[in-house]
Amino acid sequence: MNPWEESLREALRRKAPPPGFADRVLARIRDLPAREKRPWFRLRAFIARPALRWAAAVLCLVIAGSVAYRERQERQRRQGEIARMQVKQALRIASVKLNAARRMVQEVKQGTAQSRL
Amino acid sequence: MTTSTLGRCEEVLGRLARGDVSAFEEIVKEHQSMVFSIAYHFLHDRSLAEEAAQDVFLRLYQNLASIVSPRHLVFWLRKVACQRALDMARKLPKAPPVSLQDIAEPAADSPDADPLLSEGLRRMVASLPKDARAVIILRYQEELELAEIAQILDVPINTVKSRLERSLGILREKLHRWAGGTAR
Repeated sequence: MNPWEESLREALRRKAPPPGFADRVLARIRDLPAREKRPWFRLRAFIARPALRWAAAVLCLVIAGSVAYRERQERQRRQGEIARMQVKQALRIASVKLNAARRMVQEVKQGTAQSRL
Repeated sequence: MTTSTLGRCEEVLGRLARGDVSAFEEIVKEHQSMVFSIAYHFLHDRSLAEEAAQDVFLRLYQNLASIVSPRHLVFWLRKVACQRALDMARKLPKAPPVSLQDIAEPAADSPDADPLLSEGLRRMVASLPKDARAVIILRYQEELELAEIAQILDVPINTVKSRLERSLGILREKLHRWAGGTAR
């Protein structure tokens, strides 16, 4: 710090407040409206604590994470269910087609046998 | 803050948390000169500075639950004192009248090296633009680092640097004119 800055520091040295300052502050606190001493205001002050805010933020994150996870699981389950139904449907269609084809083959076989006789 | 002061402050905060309201008086007495001086150097008016300082302690009382440590308490008080002084300065006319009563007594016994120069400098600081004034007060009254000032004023460190350089330039120029070109 150069001498000029030293003068500035000297000029801005802390000053004592007027006598009785603390008493006047305490008197103003005693005069605070009663509503600020009610449980709701105390509860608000309690909630305003940083540690509690962090805890609430972490809790929200955990809840949001678990909801998203469950949502994803549910979506995958639903997609699996749809795929299972589609496979069953496909198998059913294939079975019907195969039966029809088998019936036709049998009819052709029977027709050939009768013509031989 | 020394380790013993921090320890005592921590103990007082603990008592407050347990509902001992008388501990608040100790906090006021411990930090009153810091808060009052920030406001006084900002406003250059003892009665306005006292009003601002009282408001700061009142807000502290209402927000005690949010104070987590003695260091946080000092940071909070400096920040709110600057905000309150800034708010009051905004409502003031451009050049507040300064009477002889407004010249404050120093907190300690060590007298100003040059009382006339000190008073002149205080008036010059009080005439700086408001944002620059806050930087000068935090830098030279509270002797804070630029990063700490940036945190308190919630501005980037480069803004603090430029405000400090600009206001020192203004002060140097004013002082030069005030002292008739002899001060440098």
